[in-house]
Amino acid sequence: MALVLMLPLGYVVVAAATTDLAVWRRLWTTRIPELLLNTLSLSAGVAVVDLILGVSLAWIVTRYRFPGSGIWDWLLMLPLAIPSYVLASAYTHILHRDGTAAHLWRLVAGPDASVFSPFSFAGAVLVLALNTFPFVYLLARSAFQRFNVAFEETARATGAGRLAVFFRVSLPVIRPSLMAGLFLATLYVASDFGAVSLLRFQTFTHAVYQQMTGRFDNAAASCLSLVLVGCAGVFVFGERRFRRQSRFYQTTGRYRPPVPRPCGPAAALLLNGGLLLVFMAAFGLPGLLLIRWTVDAVAAGEVSPGFVGHMWNSLSLSGLTATAAVVCGMPLAYAATRRRTWAGTLCAQGAYTGYVLPGPVAALAVLVVVSHLMPALHGTMLILLLACLVHLLPVALQGMESALQQVTPNLEEAARSLGARPVQSFRRVTLPLVRGGFASAWILVFVQCMKELPASLLLRPAGFDTLAVRIWLEASEELYHLAAPPALLIVVITIPVVLLWSGALAGPGRRDTRADADAADADADGADADAAGATGAPSRAPTGRRFRRSP
Amino acid sequence: MPSVAESPVVLELTNVACAYDAGRPAIQGISFAARRGDVIGLLGPSGCGKTTTLRAIAGFEPVAEGEISINGTPVAAVNRHVPPERRQVGMVFQDYALFPHLTVRENVGFGVRRGPAVDRRRRIDEMLEMTGLTDLARRYPHALSGGQQQRVALARALAPAPVLLLLDEPFSNLDPDMTYRMRGDLLRLLNTTRTTAVLVTHDHEEALGMADTVAVLRHGCLEQCAAPETVYHLPASPFVAECVGQADFIPGAIRDAVVHTPLGNFFVPPDYPGGPEVVVMIRPDDVRIDDAGPWAGTIHSRQFQGADMLYGILLESGDLVHGSAPSTQLLPLDARVRLRIDAAHTVVFDRHAERSRCVCKRDAARGRAPEGIRD
Repeated sequence: MALVLMLPLGYVVVAAATTDLAVWRRLWTTRIPELLLNTLSLSAGVAVVDLILGVSLAWIVTRYRFPGSGIWDWLLMLPLAIPSYVLASAYTHILHRDGTAAHLWRLVAGPDASVFSPFSFAGAVLVLALNTFPFVYLLARSAFQRFNVAFEETARATGAGRLAVFFRVSLPVIRPSLMAGLFLATLYVASDFGAVSLLRFQTFTHAVYQQMTGRFDNAAASCLSLVLVGCAGVFVFGERRFRRQSRFYQTTGRYRPPVPRPCGPAAALLLNGGLLLVFMAAFGLPGLLLIRWTVDAVAAGEVSPGFVGHMWNSLSLSGLTATAAVVCGMPLAYAATRRRTWAGTLCAQGAYTGYVLPGPVAALAVLVVVSHLMPALHGTMLILLLACLVHLLPVALQGMESALQQVTPNLEEAARSLGARPVQSFRRVTLPLVRGGFASAWILVFVQCMKELPASLLLRPAGFDTLAVRIWLEASEELYHLAAPPALLIVVITIPVVLLWSGALAGPGRRDTRADADAADADADGADADAAGATGAPSRAPTGRRFRRSP
Repeated sequence: MPSVAESPVVLELTNVACAYDAGRPAIQGISFAARRGDVIGLLGPSGCGKTTTLRAIAGFEPVAEGEISINGTPVAAVNRHVPPERRQVGMVFQDYALFPHLTVRENVGFGVRRGPAVDRRRRIDEMLEMTGLTDLARRYPHALSGGQQQRVALARALAPAPVLLLLDEPFSNLDPDMTYRMRGDLLRLLNTTRTTAVLVTHDHEEALGMADTVAVLRHGCLEQCAAPETVYHLPASPFVAECVGQADFIPGAIRDAVVHTPLGNFFVPPDYPGGPEVVVMIRPDDVRIDDAGPWAGTIHSRQFQGADMLYGILLESGDLVHGSAPSTQLLPLDARVRLRIDAAHTVVFDRHAERSRCVCKRDAARGRAPEGIRD
């Protein structure tokens, strides 16, 4: 199963490796340095902006109490509901030479002043940072909420000022969460296709797409893909390593959470103003634009006649992909969380290769495989479905694995000892407990698939346009009123899912206390081991390792 | 104590070994048996293999060597593995593992699947009644206190009338007061239902107080398996001696069939097998602080324990012994005291033997008493 999913990646590697050296040399001298520089600098630029925005917003929301502070908590998540290509098209309009922003700016700075062009590095950073800062914000927020204030108080007691405490204690302590947030954001940027293609910024994903469509040169596309996948692989591997080490930073046992400080009216106005500014830039303004264009389009009777058909295409593709992802993911997730055999681990890790396969690369990979093995499938819905599955299975797997991890193996063992066969124990105990988690995994894949652009663009059967494809096609022609209605629909469908997902990621209180109890348990065990050491039995055989929930 | 010699053997482990990684056994050579109604206490520090033993009996760990029989039927051997659901073994997990999506009643009824509905309902009612949970039957586990959760776990394990009940540190998540009450309740429940039980614990008071037979494990091996009194008074090794309570080891040497120590001379027990360099085990209740005593020392530490006061006494030889005295009289630190040793029997170990591996049945242990007589 997992091998099947790894097959596309393998094919890309093989295709790239067997490519003529001349092609490599040509790419190396002409494209790769530029693409590498662009992709890396874009990721780095976005990461810096994300870090500043995410940390400061999270700090304001968790540490200050002012009228309206409760709403921002979730309003700041909403930018995730806007697909990058929609945000990009909104900003190409806003920052247009004759757009509103330019007019306003000229009133302030004189008639010759001009705003920066959206079709630039700055434009791409702006759009993608506004699109991805919620990842960092969300993880920083939950880290600050679970922060042990005793650390800060200890630092203050030793004579460090407020600012010093923030930079020397608060930030370093939540470093693992920040890294996780930046990881999500950076992976998003590196695999983004919609925004960079609309902003005509050359990154690897964009170049792969151009090689495949403009030149029909799958060999060159494979080479570029390999470089991108290699970078992503190094990045993912590094993050995993870091996460394994970072466990030492987490606060364990009982702790005192921070109490937000109340603010005066002036400070409240200032904070609300700042938050509003970010929110409007990332969600409010594009949202209002979409609504205005949609209203215009409806009033002018210009809504595309195929709208219902496109919607149906999107819904059916997403539904099929989500169902397939959950069905395929179930045994894989179970193997990864329960059976600690090498085969199980391999299966799960193999399925995660989809992580390092950005949309265009997944499409290319599936295309290469299918044209080698089953050319008959060319141009059918199945090949598109397969690409979406390879690309989105990790999303489903992650949700399902964490749902399964919440169920301690003890519960299944208790069921077994009470006379239930393995199948019965799964049906009567495990399934009822993970049903919610599996359902949200389905919904997540569904929504991601609704937004999915490059694979659909590359592999769709003739006439099978999805909403995302229509938005992109219209937006690249700057026909905004045609692009707006489907974009608005996607945003509206995505909003509840974003809120659900952010809730799951931040973790509700009850689960936290459970985890803390576990940590306390582990501590008690450690103390036991010490006592054992004192009585002359220092070695702690690994008997405990399979009975405890993995953290 | 309901255990009579004629009761049938319910559980028998013969030379059992389990290994997570081949070549590094988590437990090995474990043999013991339990008759109907017996409570076996598996005692040892963390990582000694007691939980592994329990899980092997339950069927959650395969056996690498040896054999486990329940009610005379082999359930686990090298090429034989009866799955847990067919072993008729009830298990109470350390974290109780209550099904969070089921009510107390549904939890208790989970394993009661056979027979007509009326009988099943009656059985569940009976178990709820017996554990005092009738009023809580409609609650969900998260709305119960620790002690209540523990009773649900117990009722759930006992409801299918298992031939054997396994308890994995059942009191470790309760506060001490509650633990004390629950121990009594559990013992009563086991007695009324005549259930055979294996209890894993790292608390020697719990093991000594509840079990008919205490099995002490160390590094995956059975160090001693005997009645609680035997394990306490005649431990098979220094490790066992320390495992079941405070013990001091005073070095001595054998000359002319007598052990010479800073606390006087002792006869060498007749069956003592080791070399001439030995240690003598002294328990705090063997040490009497008495102005007329023959030995001198200074009070080095003091620990109030309620009824008793535990004194650490530094001898002139530099050795430390602990002695308990009634807490009504207080001796200050660094006070000079006199002591005498007042033991019914003393135990002698070879100072150089790393440990004596001793796997024995309870009755055998009783006869083999390394009795020492005070000089």
